[in-house]
Amino acid sequence: MNLKKYFTARMVTVDIKSSSKADILKELLELMRSAGAIASEDLDEANSAILKRESKMSTGMQDGIAIPHARTAVVKDLVAVMGIKREGADFDSLDGKPSNIFIMALSPENHPVPHVQFLAEVSQRLHDAELRGRLLESKSPQELLDTFFEFKKRW
Amino acid sequence: MVKKLPIIAILVFFATKAFAATAVAEVAMSHRMTYLVLELAIIIIAARTFGFIFTRYLKQPAVLGELCAGMLIGPYALGSFDLPFIGPLFSLPHTMLPISPELYGIATVASIVLLFLVGLETDITTFLRYSATGSLVGLGGVVCSFLIGDALAVWFGIAAHYMDPSALFLGAISTATSVGITARILSEKRKLDSPEGVTILSGAVIDDVLGIVILAVVVGISKISSKAGAEIDWAHIGIIAGKALGFWIFCTAAGLLLARKITGVLKWFKSPDLIAALALGLALLLAGLSELAGLAMIIGAYITGLALSRTDLVNELHDRLRGVYQILVPIFFCVMGMLVNFKAMKGVLLFGLSYTILVMFGKIIGSAIPALIMRFNLRGALRIGIGMLPRGEVTLIITGIGLSTGIIGQDIFGIAIMMTLISTLIAPPLLIKAFDGPPGIAKSAKDVDSSRERKITLNFPNVDVAEFVMSRFINAFRNEAFFVHRIGARLPLYQLRKDDITMTMYRKRGDIFFEMSPRSECIARFIIAEEMLELEDAFESLKTMGGTKGLSADLISGALSWKA
Repeated sequence: MNLKKYFTARMVTVDIKSSSKADILKELLELMRSAGAIASEDLDEANSAILKRESKMSTGMQDGIAIPHARTAVVKDLVAVMGIKREGADFDSLDGKPSNIFIMALSPENHPVPHVQFLAEVSQRLHDAELRGRLLESKSPQELLDTFFEFKKRW
Repeated sequence: MVKKLPIIAILVFFATKAFAATAVAEVAMSHRMTYLVLELAIIIIAARTFGFIFTRYLKQPAVLGELCAGMLIGPYALGSFDLPFIGPLFSLPHTMLPISPELYGIATVASIVLLFLVGLETDITTFLRYSATGSLVGLGGVVCSFLIGDALAVWFGIAAHYMDPSALFLGAISTATSVGITARILSEKRKLDSPEGVTILSGAVIDDVLGIVILAVVVGISKISSKAGAEIDWAHIGIIAGKALGFWIFCTAAGLLLARKITGVLKWFKSPDLIAALALGLALLLAGLSELAGLAMIIGAYITGLALSRTDLVNELHDRLRGVYQILVPIFFCVMGMLVNFKAMKGVLLFGLSYTILVMFGKIIGSAIPALIMRFNLRGALRIGIGMLPRGEVTLIITGIGLSTGIIGQDIFGIAIMMTLISTLIAPPLLIKAFDGPPGIAKSAKDVDSSRERKITLNFPNVDVAEFVMSRFINAFRNEAFFVHRIGARLPLYQLRKDDITMTMYRKRGDIFFEMSPRSECIARFIIAEEMLELEDAFESLKTMGGTKGLSADLISGALSWKA
């Protein structure tokens, strides 16, 4: 699937300020709002959908990758943001290590959208340690996107 | 006033004349349409009834029943009887074909629908995966049977030389394999995914493609040689063959490359019914264009099907067009049976028998030798050879085209039908016998392909839970914009498709299995994991109700307190 169409520089940050899980989630949602992907009045609903999913099982996976996501009525199509926190943060990850690359995705409820497929493909791409290292060195959103999309697949 | 009378009289005279002419034409037209409708009624009823009898009681493919129905009710048998009030229903018109142009038109449309669906069913992915052995098996069978068919025509004096259109046609008719019959038997014997099974399936793909390409070239050659006399003009034949092959390769490549774009446009219409109708329209369009390009119409239909076979629309199209197929295609087979002139076959019966036997022999040997060389032992090679025997749709279509274009006469047409009937009748029992016993693969070649497929197994406590979870998975994949298609109505076996991702999901008692290529594994795992989380949540919330017993008790007591 074409991942490029979901990310623009406005949907990316290389400097997540928050350090607790709940605040990071809010900050990523705020990034979505500032990029115009969701309305201010929908922030709470989106946040509770994300938290509901986190309560079932944390989306902090291995190798510093976290993919908080949910299906919610506040969006009409799949929207996603990507953020970096170089020093990492505790995200209840599967391997217990701090998470430093965050991909957040929201999709409409009961509507055929490649929501999980999107997360799977992004995670598959981030499986490469060299790519992760280079992403963490990115200085600007554009540089991060360029690195993410131009990195040669090696599987 | 008086002066004007003659003018009015003349006007009235011409008006009535003209009206009478249209009226006569209209009467003739409605008369012909009445016959067409009556003919179709008889054909549909006879074909479907015979098809039913053959499958249910004689355990034979329906197509044989439909062919036999055609022979029985056709103009050379019962159809010529004088019926009270309407005369003979299938009288012999004085044209090249013994049936009316209207009826032949409907049969032609049916053949286009048929080949469109054959193309749609072509499993290019399986074919590519086992392409090395499969291609050689297919190629071997085609070359061998083509050469034998072509040579026999010359030896028996049917054709003057090897490049004679009728000789080429007898070669072409002998090439195509109808894999449907083999596939059915193999799936009943659970041998479809055996090395022999997949080799037969991929070999049959090559077979169909080559058969249709050969048909394209032969039709091209026949068009020039009928004009130029008996001289063999090799340069001209080369051009024709090149043109046919070029159109074929160009359209197939373009079709496969543009398939995504085309489906994108089709999907814009949202409604699956509309999409199916438009896709069929596209097949008819390309069929017409390929006829204009000097090829047979079915080639365009087949290419359209082939191009769409790799897209995620394929199952939707299949489901929607099944009704059209089930009405139209038996008409085609029945009409093919009606064209058989038994009297015309008398003189060539000896040729017919030798042709049938030798061509079958050629097919078995031609397919078995490459299999033997590749990685099968003698038993396996023989199984593959026999698996390639049944003839069917493509053979009949090629034969029909030969008769309607005048390349072959009624005698050869009858022979071709006879060959189709005999090889289709003989193949199933042989195949069932052949597949008994030890594996047919050479020891050194075992386990070559098994590592390529990934499998995810989920164990559940019982069938009920597994069944319920499976229905949730179906919804989860649909929600991810996958097309979910149930394969076979009786087995809990589903195909999940999206763009170039294909997975299968099936249930055996309390266990659910997923099979996919390594590339799709990650996506499958994610989707399954997410759905399992949802399920856990659902089960947990059920528990918070304090169990469902209270609810059930309420429902039952409510049911018993109901008064009429």
